[in-house]
Formats: sequence, C-alpha cells, structure tokens
Amino acid sequence: MRYMKTGTGLRVLFAALLVFAGQGVMAEPTGTLELDRYESQVVVLDFWASWCVPCRRSFPWLNAMHEKYSGQGLVIIGVNVDNDPEAAAAFLKDYPAQFQIHYDTGATLAREYGIQGMPSSVVIGRDGEIKETHIGFKMKRQDEYEAAILAALNEGVE
Amino acid sequence: MTKSHRKNDRSVSATLAAATCALLGTGASAPVDAQEEPKWDFNTSFLYYGEDENRVQDASLKSIIRRLFADDKSLSIGVTVDTLTGATPSGAIRQDVAQTFTRPSGNAAYSVPAGELPLDDTFKDTRVALTANWTQPAGEKGLLSVGMSASKEYDYLHTGLNANYAHDFNNRNTTLSAGIAVARDSIEPVGGAPTPFTPMLDVGDVSNRNGDQDKDVLDVIFGVSQVISRDLVMQVNYSYSMSDGYLNNPYKVLSLVDGVTGDTLPRTTPLPPDGGPSGQFLFEGRPDERTQHSLYTQAKYNMNGKVLDVSYRYMTDDWEIDSHTMDVRYRWPIGAGSYLEPHLRFYTQSEAEFYRLSLDSSQPLPQFASSDYRLGNFDAITAGLKYGWKTRNGNDMSLRVEWYTQSGTVPAGQLIGNQAGRDNYPDLNALIVQFSYRFSQ
Amino acid sequence: MKTKLLPAVLLVALCAGCSSMGVEPWDRDVLAREDMQLVTDPLEAATDDHIYFSKEASSGGRGFGGGGCGCN
Repeated sequence: MRYMKTGTGLRVLFAALLVFAGQGVMAEPTGTLELDRYESQVVVLDFWASWCVPCRRSFPWLNAMHEKYSGQGLVIIGVNVDNDPEAAAAFLKDYPAQFQIHYDTGATLAREYGIQGMPSSVVIGRDGEIKETHIGFKMKRQDEYEAAILAALNEGVE
Repeated sequence: MTKSHRKNDRSVSATLAAATCALLGTGASAPVDAQEEPKWDFNTSFLYYGEDENRVQDASLKSIIRRLFADDKSLSIGVTVDTLTGATPSGAIRQDVAQTFTRPSGNAAYSVPAGELPLDDTFKDTRVALTANWTQPAGEKGLLSVGMSASKEYDYLHTGLNANYAHDFNNRNTTLSAGIAVARDSIEPVGGAPTPFTPMLDVGDVSNRNGDQDKDVLDVIFGVSQVISRDLVMQVNYSYSMSDGYLNNPYKVLSLVDGVTGDTLPRTTPLPPDGGPSGQFLFEGRPDERTQHSLYTQAKYNMNGKVLDVSYRYMTDDWEIDSHTMDVRYRWPIGAGSYLEPHLRFYTQSEAEFYRLSLDSSQPLPQFASSDYRLGNFDAITAGLKYGWKTRNGNDMSLRVEWYTQSGTVPAGQLIGNQAGRDNYPDLNALIVQFSYRFSQ
Repeated sequence: MKTKLLPAVLLVALCAGCSSMGVEPWDRDVLAREDMQLVTDPLEAATDDHIYFSKEASSGGRGFGGGGCGCN
C-alpha cells in the first residue's frame, strides 16, 4: 500500500505496465494509457461503486467540479470497481455523470493506487505526481476537496 | 407478552442503534430509488401474538421513523402500542378439585375448575413504549449513538438511557464496539406489592401489601465484528447485566402443599361471603439482585445470493439459570425483490436455583421461591416462514408467520405425592404473525 | 470467574487474528447488501427480543456496528 510519490516512479510503473499490456498479461486497457494522454492536465481519479452510499452525494459535486474547471484543464475520471457492470449502469441511471467513467475490471487500478477505503479520490497534478488522496466523501468537507483541485490546477502556473 | 420486563425497551434502542449504524458511515439501509438521497425512513409493523388455551393475546403496532441528516447523522424515533388480553398462570398448581383465588387487586375472586391449570385472567392492559436515538460519526472511524427509552402500562413504568460506540480497524474489516444502558423501572402492582411468603388473603384484605417498588438495571456490552471474506461476516458479543431492586412478580403465588399427598392445603377458616382463596397460597419471593453474563456469536454467509444467518447465545446467571439459544435463518431470493425466509430457533434453559413447583408445608420455607414457568427448566422451539416483496413503488413489505412452543419439566426431586401423576408444567404454544411495511422518501 | 475470563480471552484472540483477515475496500459489494447486515430487519429483531424476553429468562445479546459496505 505505498503511494508513488515521485513522477519518475509513476512513469516507470506506467512503462512497465505498458510492456505487460503489450505481452497480453492484462487483457483490459489500464488507466496508464489515459493518464499519459492527460499530461499537463490535472486528473482526479474518483474510485466509486454502485453500493457505496457516499458516492450518491459525491457525483453531483464531481459534476459541478467538471463544469467549473474542465476549461482550466481538470479531467475527472470516475473509476468504477463494481463486480457487476449492471449494478454500475443502474447507479449511473439514477446519478448520471458528466465526466468519464472507466471500468476497472479486476480492480487493477484500485490495487495500483493502494485504495484504502471507498470512495477514494486521487488528485494527480499536471506533473503527473499524486498531490492528494481523499478517503470518503463528506458534505462538510466539499470546500476542502475543491481547494485541493484548485491548488493542483494553479501549481506552477504563474 | 407481559408486564414484567422493560429491559426490552432499552434493547429496542440498542437494536435501533444497530439498525441505523449497521454500516459505519452509511445509511445504506434506505433503498436507492431516487436521485435525491432519502431523508426519511418509515418502518411500521403490525404484530399479533396469541397463546392457545385462553392465555395471553397481544396485538401490537410498532413504528420506527428515521430522519437522515447530512454526513451520516440520523435521529430515530420509535413508538410501540400493545394491547394485551388473556390469562397467565398464577403459579398455583392444578388440583383434582375446583379452586378459588383472590384477584391481585384484592377486590374480587375467581374460580378454576377441577383439573385445570390456575390462570389469572385479570390482565387487560395497554402498553405504550417510546424510544429515541441519535447517531453520528465520531472522528474518521468511529460511530456514536445515544438514546433513551420509556414505557408505561397500568402497573409498570420504565425509563432508560443508553449509549454505544463503535470503532473500525483494519480498513474497516474489524469493528470493536462498547455499549451501556441504565434503566430505572417502577412497579406499581394492582393492590400493592405483597410481602413475599405471606398468604393470599380474602377479598378486601390488603393488609400484606406494600405499595410501589423500584428496580434498577445496568447493561454493558462489548463486541467484535469481523469481515472474514467477501461473503462472510461474523460477530461476537459479551454482555453483562445487573438488576437490583424489586425483582419479584407481585402477582404470582406458590401452592402450599401437604408433605405426603402433594395436595394444596385447604384454608383453615370458613370462606367469607365476598370470597377468597380455597387453599393456602403464598406469594413468591426472589432475590433482590441478579447478575447475568451472555456470550453471543453470529455469522452471516452469502451463498450465491442466498444468505444464511446463524447465531448462538449462551447465558448464565447467579440465579443458576443457564441457557442456550440457537437461531438459524435462510433468506432465499425469488424473483425481483422478493424472498422467502424460513426460520428455526432452539432454546433451552435450566431452572433457577429457587424454582419450586410448590412449597412443602412439612419443610422449612426456603429463603427464595418462585413457580413462575419462565424461571423453570424448559425447551422451546420457534419455526416460521417469512415472505418479503417490493411494492410497485419499490418499497418493502413482509409477512411472517411463526409457531412458538415451550415444553418444560419439573425437576424430579420436587414432585410430591399426587403431583407426580399430573401435567404440572404450563406448556406454551403461541402463534406469531407480523406484517411490516417500510418506505423512504 | 472462569465464565468471565473465557469470553474476554476469546475476544482478545479474535482481535489478534483480526488484522490479517478481511477484504479490500473495493470488494465489499456483497457485504453492502441489506440482507448481509448483522441486523437486517430491526423491527423484527426488536419484536423478537420483546417476545422472548417476556417468555424466557434470557435477554439480548445482539450488538452494534460492523460489516456492511465499510464506506467512509
């Protein structure tokens, strides 16, 4: 359960995963490809599941963040860890997402990022480094979560 | 059901607490229907409990209303109304002749035909119970719940407070919890509480009565619940309970019998015009303190969508009662949102040290004695079936029908003379029907 | 005293073994189901507690907290 604190470490891991992907060990495309695509943007990986009650509250907030900051380079990816894709679809019908959804079959990404609780939000800066990780979603801490995103967006931009 | 215990109202609170906090940090017991997270949860049931042979009948309406607030805080209010009718064993034994008894109020008498179990049918009562419970997260991994409970019926008042705290460890795979509940109950027996071991007197004579009494109860519970695998969760709880004060049943008597024949001694004076007991009966007396220890363990196991719920509880106390309870439920989903749930419960207890079928007049009186069947040696089985379904609006309804039967034995050494040939233990057979409706909005 | 010691020992033993058991946070889909909660039907549980308390000499036992979706 260690976090990759350095950008280099992360890139090495991505490269290794690419190699493995190439060898067919991983059947699904992993987040690695997506993340490479978002270099110089701020990526928020939000790990959610249909059975996770706080996720019903976080989705409207994530939609609001997407609207507010996607113009400034914020990319939100809802990483779904459901074992049953139908359950995920049912959740999305009730709580639609304006941001992308990635289906983390086999919980590969969840394991890679060492997720400690549900839901979890990982804020990755423009430099590819993990800036913050939040476990859980509390309504009273929304400002805190938003501040973390803003900080990542404004980092090094001056 | 009866008038003698209110500890239940506190355990109702605890169960409510368990209900609202079964998932740490979530209100997942509310169905996911709407885009708006539900703010209110209403859970109501109608219960019929009926014993055969003209014994206790109870019709009960129970409702738990829960208001959910932001960030997993909630307030639960519970209301229960019971109407009780029917007769309950008075503690006196059957005789081959008709018997008469003075009612607990002292105002009238009733008679029991020859060969029948003496039942007192004075009890027609309405009971109202109230619980309130506040739950909120405490820190990152904790959950705190505080509550109160109260109930009132003609001859009984219960008031109580409770608090519970649960803390998660190991990525929320392990939860340690501790709870405490205190209660002060007031017993206001019809006619006043009789002095133990004094005789049942004639109609109009309440000279052996002592008015109202009190009882204090302290309950403490410690528990561990552990996620074993994706499909299995288990729980182990240790509880300690201490009752102090008036623990007697003020309405129960023991027959004073002849040391050779085992027959109830007849009255020594002529029966007065207003009536009175046909024989000699002494009011029971229990210790004024009781300490119980329980160990409870439960497992819930998912087998491809079907859920097996098994629990076992061992109880031992300083009245020398030991009991074992084994409860098995199997939830079998059928169709969309419906399920069938058969239920089987086995219970066995050994008698209290001071349990007596009757009092032998040729022996010195013991310090404590009671012939209350609830303190005797018996086995009980519950067998039932529950059917649950979802309404068109996606709300939950369920109906369960159960049969509860108790059969006891009098310790062999206690049977005197003619008692040996009779059916002495008041066995019980009861039907339980409960209909529930739950919706959120 | 023996009866008091045994449950305490069991609890401690259970806790000691607990740290190695369990599931990952993303694998709690089954545990989050309503029918997998330790008390699935609180109304039924309260009713049963009351009935059996009234007719038998034992009471309670059920606890508080644990299992479930483990959400934060």
